[in-house]
Amino acid sequence: MKRVLRRSWLTFIVVIAFLGGMVFLVAETLLNASDWVDQAYNGHISGAGGLAQAGSITDRNGEILAQTVDKKRVYHEDKAVRKALLHVVGDNSLNISTAVQSQFRSQLTGYSFIWGLNMPKSFRSGRDMSLTVDAKTCKAAYNALKNYDSGACVVYNYNTGEILCSVSVKSYDPNSPPKINKDNEKEYDGVYLDNVLSSTYTPGSIFKIVTAAAAIENIPGVMDRQFHCSGEEEIGGGDITCVGSHGTVNLEEAFGHSCNIVFAELAVELGPEKMNAMARKMGIDAEFSVSGVKTKKGSYDIKNINKNQLAWSGVGQYTDQVNPTHMAILCGAIARGGQYINPYIINGDSGSLLKDLGLSGTGSTGEQLIKPSTAKTIGDLMRKAVINDYGDDMFGGMTVCAKTGTGETVKGDEEKNDGWMIGYCTDKETPLAFACVVHGTGEYGYSSAGKVAKAAMIQAKKSLTKE
Amino acid sequence: MAVIMDTAVVLLRMLLPVYTVFVVYQCFASMRRRRRPERPLVLLQNLDTGLKIPVLFWENSIGRNRSCDIAIDDPAVSRNHCVLLRRKEGWFLTDTGSKSGTYINDERIEGREQVCIDDVISIGNSDFEFKRGEEFHEELESSWFFSKVVNKPSIRPYKLMIMISLFHIFMGVEAVFCDGATDYDPAYVCAAMVGVEWLFFVISKLALRRVNFEIECLCLLFTGVGVMLLARQEMRQSYIQLIAAVIGIVGYCLLIKFIENPDRIAKWRIIIMVAAVGFLAVNLVFGRVQHGAANWITIGPVSVQPSEFVKIAYIFVGASTLDRLQTKQNLLEFIIFSAVCVGALAIMGDFGSALIFFATFLLISFTRSGDFKTLILALAGAGFAGFMVLNLKPYVLKRFQGWRHVWEYTQDSLGYQQTRVLTYIASGGLFGVGVGNGCLKYVFASESDLVFGILAEEMGFIVAVTIAVAIATMFIYARSVATRTRSAFYSISACCAAGMLVIQMSLNIFGSTDILPLTGVTFPFISLGGSSMISCWGLVAFIKAADERTYAKKIKE
Repeated sequence: MKRVLRRSWLTFIVVIAFLGGMVFLVAETLLNASDWVDQAYNGHISGAGGLAQAGSITDRNGEILAQTVDKKRVYHEDKAVRKALLHVVGDNSLNISTAVQSQFRSQLTGYSFIWGLNMPKSFRSGRDMSLTVDAKTCKAAYNALKNYDSGACVVYNYNTGEILCSVSVKSYDPNSPPKINKDNEKEYDGVYLDNVLSSTYTPGSIFKIVTAAAAIENIPGVMDRQFHCSGEEEIGGGDITCVGSHGTVNLEEAFGHSCNIVFAELAVELGPEKMNAMARKMGIDAEFSVSGVKTKKGSYDIKNINKNQLAWSGVGQYTDQVNPTHMAILCGAIARGGQYINPYIINGDSGSLLKDLGLSGTGSTGEQLIKPSTAKTIGDLMRKAVINDYGDDMFGGMTVCAKTGTGETVKGDEEKNDGWMIGYCTDKETPLAFACVVHGTGEYGYSSAGKVAKAAMIQAKKSLTKE
Repeated sequence: MAVIMDTAVVLLRMLLPVYTVFVVYQCFASMRRRRRPERPLVLLQNLDTGLKIPVLFWENSIGRNRSCDIAIDDPAVSRNHCVLLRRKEGWFLTDTGSKSGTYINDERIEGREQVCIDDVISIGNSDFEFKRGEEFHEELESSWFFSKVVNKPSIRPYKLMIMISLFHIFMGVEAVFCDGATDYDPAYVCAAMVGVEWLFFVISKLALRRVNFEIECLCLLFTGVGVMLLARQEMRQSYIQLIAAVIGIVGYCLLIKFIENPDRIAKWRIIIMVAAVGFLAVNLVFGRVQHGAANWITIGPVSVQPSEFVKIAYIFVGASTLDRLQTKQNLLEFIIFSAVCVGALAIMGDFGSALIFFATFLLISFTRSGDFKTLILALAGAGFAGFMVLNLKPYVLKRFQGWRHVWEYTQDSLGYQQTRVLTYIASGGLFGVGVGNGCLKYVFASESDLVFGILAEEMGFIVAVTIAVAIATMFIYARSVATRTRSAFYSISACCAAGMLVIQMSLNIFGSTDILPLTGVTFPFISLGGSSMISCWGLVAFIKAADERTYAKKIKE
């Protein structure tokens, strides 16, 4: 008996292992419960019924973007605003997974670790959320964007991180979401995707910012060098074409005219390693976080490529891809001497839980994307481009530094370009960085995305200065 | 008005976990009481030195070996000299092949010989007088579970029963009014459940004359929770579960009666072993594939899972292959039996049950032999077998691909169930969404494999964890009563049966929450499944039988 009893203590190992597992389970639940709750399939919160108890969502001026009235979810009264902010606010479904109503549905409906999703109604409070966006600016950008196949416009304050404008097309009215079936699925292709965060486009000439930065840092005296452009040149066994014949130009002029020949030559001269290093440093293939949502990574893939392809990659063609939010961040970094502020979309006073999670409040400082001296030089190039090529009138007298680009994407016989305009304003009262892109147009970036950038920036200034 | 109503609901909800903890605590608290004081049963007094040796157990090995229950420092005594054991009829002495023989009143004994008070037992060169336990006056150590027993009278069993019935009635009321749609069907289930509880209590008290009813209370609590959770899900299943519980309880009483006589157990060992193997063989031949494992047999309208019943046989066989207490071991037979069981289950594809049997094998074989070599050999063998299976049949490995990565597979079979469980556990919070209001019940197999998730979602995380810990604590109880069992069989079977329940529950909870791979085993008492319910009651019978108070008839004062 004594022996049997002594040995039976081995069984205690089983119990101890069980208790250890329980402790682990409790710890995991404590740490992750709120992530576990936020799932599209969660029957307690999905569907319109899930929002029956949800709090309201307002823009930076307190305009109500979404609220629950008599257990029904109603959105902003202006249809254009509803469509402009669809991808930020979301709809009753959880189809737009990056939208606030999907990402933070459990917070909106009053989730807490203690009560789960079952807190009695009378005890719910402070579940309203305030966003940093400006409804008017978004509407202006949307109206400029709405006729294009696909596009995105993002404007943010590079000193604080607040996103003022974030618009993605295609869009639809959250008050009457379309039923997507086989017949109309082409028409609504990609409609659930927030292009600002979750898409990438061919950069075209805006990528010359990267090539220029690499040249400035790696080729001594490049700013004083003279280049020659005859409109067409053979590099690495293939032709590189330019929009015009620019003759003898320096780097500043080449940047302003957006000369392909010069930047293609520079890319080849720098070589794949240095180009790749600069693209990585500037964050082309990095992911950034906007109030907890990760942006889609861009790509600069120059593995096993020939000289001609390298040349094209240096002017933003080849397989280059960039994300709109990242482009705005990059402009913000140039404006601030190389270091960016993380953009965010949920205001700091929206409930302490979000604050605890670090998903709201003032934007934190991000990494150094460019050397301060390089940022200054690039900034000057972008400023000159506006003065000499686009004109300050375009932005109603604001001091803007910018670059346009046209990523050529051919679909069948039709030219479906990605038109870009990215940049920032240096005026003290409007420290805004922006990135606008439209897809599926034969136009150049200046005329297509330029219109969008202009509309958004002018309205943003009005809203900020309360004109 | 709404605020008052909501406050009331909140208070009620917060009360439930407190109440659960209280009920479970009361069950364990009263298990500690009504125990005879820690005194030796009899004692042996050395006639030369006058030293009194207390005899503590119903079965005691005597010998020179220091690990003997009664160790005698005398070179003429064999290592394992003889066995002193108590049966209903009195005390007996059996010689276990000693060199010099064992004598009672100077007569050499052969086979089992009765010893009476004041007889003189001679072992080697030592003579002992056989005396009553009362003549021993020193304090004895006792197990901590029973060490600081307050002299307060324990809570009366009927009060415990009232508390448990109230618990089930509370769940019933919740089920009736859940989801905003009133449905009175759960009320009938609840009434039937409470009726069964009290009938069992009355029978146990009056017909079987049991003095204590705590472990039954605990098991009834779990059973009722399982039945009531089903009430708003599938009414029919709820009744089937209740019927299974009744069969389980009847089986429980019969099993306790069957193993009452320790001498009967040895005789039945082979028969039960053959029956278990036959059962598994029938299963292998006629088994029907259901939910990925071919471990179901359907006879008419009834589907049974034979592997569940084999669990009882397994514990029985494992604990009983001890011939004449430690002196002659027959571990090989048990190893072969275990290999057959585990192999048959693995062939059926029921890896969860195979794992339970294997872990229990380790427990039993070590408790019996104390041999680390066997333990390590078995583990190495299992590791090798597992390695071979994964190498030869890579698709088995694929089943576990989602383990610790379930969030990457939320829409396919690798992670679908686990992610739902985690989401709904979190949605339930600490206090739950109320019986019948959960969403996990719509997920396939939720009422059996994922029942921990339903429990946590509907009744709250605290209640779920409390119930799980209560089942684990049954082991501590089993280990504590094991010091007073009437035979080594009861000690081994109680500890190993409790261990088996804990292993099974661990696989269920941790499998469904992605801490371990999901193997699809049932949660003791609470999962839907008649066979599982019956086997759980059967396993608890071993724990109950180990408590020496079980067979003590209540004497009317």
